[in-house]
Amino acid sequence: MNNHAALDTSIYTAVTEAIRVEAQRILSEGQVTAVIGYAASRRKGSARPVIATDAVAADKLIFTAACVNNLAVYLTKAKKDIHKGGKIGIVVKGCDLKALIGLMGESQLKREDLYLIGVPCSGVLGSTMQPATELTTATIAPKCCECDVHQPTGCDFIPSVTVPSTPQLEGKYSAEIARLEALTPAERWSYWKEQFAKCIKCYACRQVCPFCFCEQCLCDRNKPQMVDSTPRPSGNTAWHIVRAMHLAGRCAGCAECERVCPMDIPLNLLNRKMAKELKELYDYESGLEVLEKGPLNSFAEKDDQSFIK
Amino acid sequence: MDNRTQQDFEPKIIAFVCTWCTYAGADLAGTSRMQYPSNVRVLKFPCTGRIDPVFILKAFQQGADGVLVSGCHPGDCHYIAGNFHARRRFAAFRKLLEFIGVDLNRLQFSWVSAAEGGKWVEVVTDLTEKVRTMGPMVEFKELALEEQWSGAIDTPELKEAYNAI
Amino acid sequence: MQNFISEQNLNVLLEQLIKSGKRVVAPRVNSGTPLYEPLSASGEMDLKELPRRSAKEAFFPVCEDILSYEKVGLNVKLSDVDPARFPETVLVGVRPCDAAAIPVLDAVFSWDYKDQFYLERRRKTTIVGLACTSSDDACFCSGVGLSPSTTKGSDLFLTPLEGGGYVCETYSQKGEDLVSNYKELFVDTTSAKPLPLAEVRTETFDLKKVKAWLDNNFENSYWDGIAISCVGCGACAFVCPACHCFDIVDEGAEKKGQRRKSWDACGFWKFTHHASGHNPRDLQPKRYRNRIMHKFKYYDDKFSQTLCTGCGRCIRVCPVGIDIATIVEEISHK
Ligand code: SF4
Ligand code: SF4
Ligand code: SF4
Ligand code: SF4
Repeated sequence: MNNHAALDTSIYTAVTEAIRVEAQRILSEGQVTAVIGYAASRRKGSARPVIATDAVAADKLIFTAACVNNLAVYLTKAKKDIHKGGKIGIVVKGCDLKALIGLMGESQLKREDLYLIGVPCSGVLGSTMQPATELTTATIAPKCCECDVHQPTGCDFIPSVTVPSTPQLEGKYSAEIARLEALTPAERWSYWKEQFAKCIKCYACRQVCPFCFCEQCLCDRNKPQMVDSTPRPSGNTAWHIVRAMHLAGRCAGCAECERVCPMDIPLNLLNRKMAKELKELYDYESGLEVLEKGPLNSFAEKDDQSFIK
Repeated sequence: MDNRTQQDFEPKIIAFVCTWCTYAGADLAGTSRMQYPSNVRVLKFPCTGRIDPVFILKAFQQGADGVLVSGCHPGDCHYIAGNFHARRRFAAFRKLLEFIGVDLNRLQFSWVSAAEGGKWVEVVTDLTEKVRTMGPMVEFKELALEEQWSGAIDTPELKEAYNAI
Repeated sequence: MQNFISEQNLNVLLEQLIKSGKRVVAPRVNSGTPLYEPLSASGEMDLKELPRRSAKEAFFPVCEDILSYEKVGLNVKLSDVDPARFPETVLVGVRPCDAAAIPVLDAVFSWDYKDQFYLERRRKTTIVGLACTSSDDACFCSGVGLSPSTTKGSDLFLTPLEGGGYVCETYSQKGEDLVSNYKELFVDTTSAKPLPLAEVRTETFDLKKVKAWLDNNFENSYWDGIAISCVGCGACAFVCPACHCFDIVDEGAEKKGQRRKSWDACGFWKFTHHASGHNPRDLQPKRYRNRIMHKFKYYDDKFSQTLCTGCGRCIRVCPVGIDIATIVEEISHK
């Protein structure tokens, strides 16, 4: 017996159909040069990002519970070979859209260059190492359990289907953050020490992140070498602290960093902890509206300074 | 690991200060012949806004037992708002370090103006004494000795060398 | 023939090896992730899942010191790492796709330059392979001419039997020594049948054809098509049993520090970034092309071997679902 209930993903057939029709239309009308979306790949149940430039390719677009990627990464400076200019179409889930909004705020993208195909989403898998996995309350991505944007808004096109009401799922991130907060500093240190020790500095977490678009990451530099670049526990810890800090107030919570980590390090806990603190300190939440300045490049005179002598 | 007793433990304190206020304040303390612990090593920056959190991290990694960051009072910044930006950045960074498991008692922030030689003495003395009672910061030093299992070899001399730091 | 070992005796063997001061490395679960790691007790071994990282790190560590420096007065004192300190190791429960990669790596590490770090660790390690009984649709050992019962690279090879226990066959002096040192743990073969082997895709790719195409298609729009979505991480290279690129960096302070060698990956932008600022592999498809070229052409040119054992790890971990088996298959049909 298992007590993990299967989740209803029946809308994905209609969503897939609608995405195909719309992508074909905007491509053939010449509204966009390409549509970034998902297509099936060889393994059963698998999906991977594709850049469709004609109607034939657009007819292969899909949306399933394995469509985990935040495609916003393909619109960043880091991937400048893809978005060469002009208007481009992109398939976005609500969480991915938050990243696009953040990127617009950081002047990385212009809304008028994008044709947004929003996806009503009932959730995706937490891991795609075995893409044929059924979407259940156990296999769903933790971010989906705390999602408030199953139905995205502000897109150019959204398939007219209604997301079935999902059962109330336990917020794994908030529970885990609370658990860690309740520990002593020494216990937290040993928890993170064990996690960071596994890191091999493959930088998958950085490469998939829409906000890690620096041409040369501080952690790759050796003049000066602020962070040891080798994958040893010490350099790993420094890398993770710097990463969390550089994403604080910017991270849109897509949790891609955590999904892609081949060492299963719960990276998004750090980013979500920072988001939580910035909400408490400065009432800031990312991805809600295009803002010119985030919480860490703006200030108010009355900001808390109780920690300063 | 560290078998030195607390009496003969002299904490290493790194102070990141801005040149316009706190550095001048520390200078004033010196020229007024005020006494403060020689444990503190001062690093001068143009502004607290230039002090990257990674410097603090690096200081701990290189053996600091305590870190002080100090600059101009709000409103006094030579660059108008550098310290306001720094205030937010450090508020966030503290939360991060705390979540990773670093004891925040080792990290102090302060506003010390060019006229506050006395406050400088008070801040560095308080931090030094607090850190002295806490003992050496071992977390980052121990971490520096650790290897992935596959790269680990038994090197007793190396361990000894690190212990000596 | 005394070539059967019960599960219980295998545990006894591991315990005795650990007691004798050997480092016993085997699949084990580390906070949820299956990895090859040193065991402190035989009970930690968990053979159910293919470890996330390959066994190569027993010889080619994620990161290792190669020397240390210290300024003494006006001089710099250099100290080499003493290879005599590398631990004697027994690597147990190695899947065929991992073991088969080891002789492939031997070729490059003992070629024009003899890499003493690799070779000394290699010399001090006995490899106990294990026939593979579970697979998924990322596995394709059969595609590159191997199989779930390939013994290549193993000193001793275990085949699990129905009802428990293993038949072991020795393939080298090291393997024979291991068995003869602990002969009391091995008994006569029972009549039990081996467990069914893992199912894998059966067709073998025509690697000659693949190479012939690669020989002539360094420039081809195919590369853009397959690798435009590659995000340029090192996940595929780092989990691969055959990838072996490394970087060398100095870390430490002005007065003293270490020179270290750590894994590197051709997918990284910085891999071919010159000091001048020029990057000959300026776009991701060019970097991904190198991955395929190195595995199926360059390594074949140099050592007449293939740098892929079909373990499927890179397919499972690729953040963007790039599937090397599909690519090789497609090229073989070109
Ligand atoms: S840090 Fe992680 S969760 Fe946040 S935007 Fe980047 S990939 Fe997404
Ligand atoms: S993806 Fe995981 S293993 Fe790779 S660098 Fe990030 S945390 Fe480390
Ligand atoms: S290239 Fe991929 S499938 Fe081939 S050996 Fe390496 S990780 Fe395994
Ligand atoms: S193929 Fe996949 S795993 Fe390899 S570098 Fe590209 S994105 Fe990373």
